[in-house]
Amino acid sequence: MDEKTFLANMEELLECIPGSLSLEQSLVDTGKWDSLNFVSFLAMAHSKYSKRVAPADLTGCKTVGDTMKLVRPS
Amino acid sequence: MAVAKIHGVKVAGVASAVPATVRPLTEFAAQYGTDEVQRISQSTGVERQHISLGKLCTSDLCAAAARRLLTDLQWDPTSVEAVILVSQTFDFPSVPATACTLQMRLGLPSTCAAFDLALGCSGHVYGLWIAASLIAASGLNRVLLLAGDVASRTCSPLDRSTSLLFGDAGSATALEKENADSEMVFSLGTDGTGWNNLLIPAGGSRHPRDEGSAVRRHAEGKNIRSLEDVFMNGAEIFAFTLREVPPLVDSLLAASHWTREQVDYFVFHQANKFMLQHLAKFMKLPLDKVPISLQEYGNTSSASIPVTINSRLAEVVRSRSVRLALAGFGVGYSWAACGLNCGPIVAPDVVLVQEAEAWSC
Repeated sequence: MDEKTFLANMEELLECIPGSLSLEQSLVDTGKWDSLNFVSFLAMAHSKYSKRVAPADLTGCKTVGDTMKLVRPS
Repeated sequence: MAVAKIHGVKVAGVASAVPATVRPLTEFAAQYGTDEVQRISQSTGVERQHISLGKLCTSDLCAAAARRLLTDLQWDPTSVEAVILVSQTFDFPSVPATACTLQMRLGLPSTCAAFDLALGCSGHVYGLWIAASLIAASGLNRVLLLAGDVASRTCSPLDRSTSLLFGDAGSATALEKENADSEMVFSLGTDGTGWNNLLIPAGGSRHPRDEGSAVRRHAEGKNIRSLEDVFMNGAEIFAFTLREVPPLVDSLLAASHWTREQVDYFVFHQANKFMLQHLAKFMKLPLDKVPISLQEYGNTSSASIPVTINSRLAEVVRSRSVRLALAGFGVGYSWAACGLNCGPIVAPDVVLVQEAEAWSC
């Protein structure tokens, strides 16, 4: 999995400045991790990574890196 | 998925009715902030909703649609042999069946069968299946299917996940026996494990109303609602549609022996625009074959498929025969799809209903 592409996808999704996110970044601290972006993540995982992520798994994510683990090829 | 094929039944007409009162989403700006409302609106596609101010009920909207449809079809009300009302927001808590009151109000004969069917997002297609089955299997000639909800009346005004999404609408679909070998194909399914992701917890016998059930309290996010208000877990609903809707459409196409290209329009339950566009893209359906009426009416629950036909496809279905793939999915979880050749049919523009037209009983 290409980490840089994933971060760029997350920056687009969360409307962050390109290059500003890291895997260690806390989702809550972005101030943009809300229910709409939660659903946007499910859609992104589905369309770009062919993954149907369970919302309960996403709820448990604390950092951007945690969300990346959910879309890793199994 | 349960697959059914029904022959010798046609849809003769479809009508929809909404409250005349329009609420632009900008009205929520004072409460949630302009940026937040705009963001939600861009995602859901909802720009305004037609809403009951508290008097108009499901039956009033369905009755307005039915009257218009019977007039335009030039059907004598006494020729209707069964009326089915599909809703999740009936006029009365449990008794009587609202369909019985509609038999009286619409001037249908006492020989007419009438019953309620409690389903929401999938309800119109389930209703079509039952209405068509009644005609095909029990020899009835004319059935009136009514489907509608006043979903806005179930929302807490302080819950952004529902109050900015749902609008109110009623519909009427006329089905009748025909001798031609027409075919309606249905694919239906259920997954009750999702029962608590779209739910009004209190007010039934599982959790009767009590002194605390109407009290609005802080819930997830910044939402505030009571146990008598509708709750929706948007993420779970979205995940459910990703899981079930593509196989539903595939199952319908396989049973119909239709390719995607042969379908003129995929009329989906208007859940929200983001979801519909994502599903269309995933299923490789051209967006111009997936009409969307959310901007004007919001998510109108069981009425959203007929509302989309009357508001977006009326001219098409009035003038020629088209292949339609209808699909409803959501609360339950419940889902159903129908493939049919439809048109030319009676399809009036959406009827506006004044608050004063509510039944004063």
